[in-house]
Amino acid sequence: MENITGVYANETDCREVQIPNEIFFTIAMVSLGENLLVVVAVIRNKNLHSPMYCFICSLALFNTISSLSKTWENIMLVFTNTGHLNSRGDSVLKVDDVMDSLLCMSFIGSIFSFLAIAVDRYVTIFHALRYHNIMTMKRAKAILSAIWAFCGCTGVVMVVFFHNVAIMMCFIILFVFALVLILFLYVHMFLLARHHARKIASLPGSTKHHNLRGALTLTILFGVFIACWSPFFLHLLIIMVCPQNPYCECYRSLFQIHVILLMSHAVIDPAIYAFRSAELRSTFRKMFLCSDSRLCH
Amino acid sequence: MRKKNYAAVVEDRRKIFLNFKESILEMSDFNHLNKSRSSGRGPEYVWEYEYYDDEEPVSFEGLKAHRYSVVIGFWVGLAVFVIFMFFVLTLLTKTGAPHQENLEACDKHPGLTSCVVDISHDQGSGSKVCSHSLMEESHSIFRCSINEEEQCEPVAGHQGYQGRLSVRTSSDVQGEPMGLRKDREANFLQHFNIPNFVNSEHSSVLGDDDLLLCEQPIIMDSETRCNSKLDIIS
Repeated sequence: MENITGVYANETDCREVQIPNEIFFTIAMVSLGENLLVVVAVIRNKNLHSPMYCFICSLALFNTISSLSKTWENIMLVFTNTGHLNSRGDSVLKVDDVMDSLLCMSFIGSIFSFLAIAVDRYVTIFHALRYHNIMTMKRAKAILSAIWAFCGCTGVVMVVFFHNVAIMMCFIILFVFALVLILFLYVHMFLLARHHARKIASLPGSTKHHNLRGALTLTILFGVFIACWSPFFLHLLIIMVCPQNPYCECYRSLFQIHVILLMSHAVIDPAIYAFRSAELRSTFRKMFLCSDSRLCH
Repeated sequence: MRKKNYAAVVEDRRKIFLNFKESILEMSDFNHLNKSRSSGRGPEYVWEYEYYDDEEPVSFEGLKAHRYSVVIGFWVGLAVFVIFMFFVLTLLTKTGAPHQENLEACDKHPGLTSCVVDISHDQGSGSKVCSHSLMEESHSIFRCSINEEEQCEPVAGHQGYQGRLSVRTSSDVQGEPMGLRKDREANFLQHFNIPNFVNSEHSSVLGDDDLLLCEQPIIMDSETRCNSKLDIIS
């Protein structure tokens, strides 16, 4: 043991980058607040009971669950560090497993929610008039139930069978598949929108400006998704592929930063999906300002 | 003791995402070589000796490149990919989308006269063949709103739909020249909402989010979809 300590005093080693618990707490709290707000707003406002907002609400719910479990884990870590909790106790390990499975569930759920939102937008664009027949509330609820059931099972399976490399590969392949599909859907939508924009290019109003905006929006949407999610998945891949390689070791030392990125995506998500909706924003205004009812009437 | 506390913290962090490390070590050749050492320990070995407590730590001797080269390479690759995607999207808007030819062919669709016929006809017609099916649908809806508002209500099937259609108040435009008609259509479409939208009191969508203004299908806000149609549907 002491010999190993000596080895790690070596300066060329990649020590794990530690992030203070306060930062984890802050990000988790902010994410929790935002996403809870979105969920409550969608539930309270009858106007928002449409498939599109159901998917956004589901995404916010998954983010809420991930923030909650991260917060819970941080609290347990704090207790462990101060010595109040035995980190190797049986019950602690069981609770840890539950948290892990909740986190897995919420991450997979987020990915599927993004996919559902992208498909919903796609159907809106390409089958506009038949949208109501294709995407009924019943179907949306069925899709959401399927997503939640699948994610719940997958979360539990992943924690129980985490020794199995095949399961991890499935996780990564799922992520890559979802990424590619989302990219395809959005680029196709973008192409159609741009094409029609060119058709009415006679309108005053800088088509070029709109083109840039569309490209920028899509880039932001996709870029944030990739930047926040892929470091963690690369981490998983590297653990499986090159556990002993020093370069991979240095990448793995940034584990906490990758987790922070995942959590910050839960913070950015509402800004990208939910807060863009004027109806949601007005619901927020009503919720906050109308605690004093005079302002609402 | 310091080492043990550090390892405990690290262990807890690692356990967040299912410590694959032990499983990989068990499966890797390294463990096969050291089987004699590990086999005697049993499951205890897996729990107590976490990542940094390996018998043989990763050696950092003789690294040719910078030790964070994988990290730097990953982030640089990611940035390049995102910027490349942005430029490809911007270029696509300048050079035109691939299905422009299809659209030109489908433009020759015959004029539609009645609301009910239009919509049912459009739904049946090859919207799969022509990706611009929206354009025809919008033409039909446009005519519906001008002339036959009441007939459209049952067809549209959504309570808010007729509310939006009723915004348009100008007269019949079927006889107008193309350029003027285009302007009118665009004007109309600013108030046009496709069926799936939030039925709110705000009839105007132009005062929306600056980022969303005329923003396209990318942002699927119900109101801004109206704006998006301004561009999508000519």
